[in-house]
Amino acid sequence: MAVSTMQPKAIDIVKRSGKRPSERFDAEKLHASIRAACLSVRSPDGEADTTALAVTDLVIVWCATKPEVTSHDLRRVASRHLEKFHPEAAYLYEQHRTII
Amino acid sequence: MTITSSIAIIILAALIHASFQLSVSVLTLMSGHAIGKRTAHTKLLRLMSGFTVGAGVMTMLLVSFTAYVTGSVFGNDAPLVLWAACCGILVGVGVSVWRFYYRSGRGTSLWIPRGIANYLHDRSKSTKQSAEAFGLGLSSVAGELLFVAAPIIITSLVLIHLSPAWQLLGILIYTVIASLPLLIVGALIGSGHKLSHIQRWRESNKHFLQFAAGSGLLVLGAYVYVEQVLNATVVAAGGR
Repeated sequence: MAVSTMQPKAIDIVKRSGKRPSERFDAEKLHASIRAACLSVRSPDGEADTTALAVTDLVIVWCATKPEVTSHDLRRVASRHLEKFHPEAAYLYEQHRTII
Repeated sequence: MTITSSIAIIILAALIHASFQLSVSVLTLMSGHAIGKRTAHTKLLRLMSGFTVGAGVMTMLLVSFTAYVTGSVFGNDAPLVLWAACCGILVGVGVSVWRFYYRSGRGTSLWIPRGIANYLHDRSKSTKQSAEAFGLGLSSVAGELLFVAAPIIITSLVLIHLSPAWQLLGILIYTVIASLPLLIVGALIGSGHKLSHIQRWRESNKHFLQFAAGSGLLVLGAYVYVEQVLNATVVAAGGR
């Protein structure tokens, strides 16, 4: 399964609380999380993959000019793009950290 | 206190317990992760059942334990001062629920210690077996002890007045009613409803649920105060 058609440049992701160390941007991880959000609103496998691929590419483009981004920003931007493809999945993706 | 009024107090306390949302949040999150990982439907049902049974067992244990301790210390008749103190706790928790239950902002984030919330969040993600789901159900009730303690204490005070058969029935009624939201959400997810719809409903009605829980605690506190404290004081004064 192709994760993205684009090669992301090396970007550091600053974690949410600042307590955990920064980590390298991982397109595969982003793709998996968006795919899981689509699947959790009962999207078919193919649709979930296509949507995750498109959103991951858009996020890579957004990241291109930045040396580092926060995980919160990454989620916000991914969610904004996901909204165009799958509003229900975007809602759950955005709510992920505020359910409990 | 008559059987009818005792059962009515237990039912109202259980309804208040049922309006607290931590277990439902954890169930929603756990199901979301399971569906997102393409878990088989039967396994998803097993996970949700394990979770619901865990939450029910913890509720039952908490009520039984509190009633046992209260009964051991005070026998079949709790002193008036204890009733008055519990009414104060109900009113205090009720006002706190009105003010603090949900964190401000979007979502259904609760005002519980963040360490507990993060622990439940991480565990709901890594739960794969029914036994783990059962443990998560136990933990989710324990995590909300700060709020559910008030209805549980008042139920235990009522239970010690009853005969053993009615005590068992009271515990059962409390557990079933307190677990109803989990059964309903489990049935909705199991029958194919989208998690986003359930979460949207929860988010848009969160202030109503908060108001209902807080008001319920205040009403219960006032009722028990009048029935147990004022009534006894007036009867005692009249007998002089």
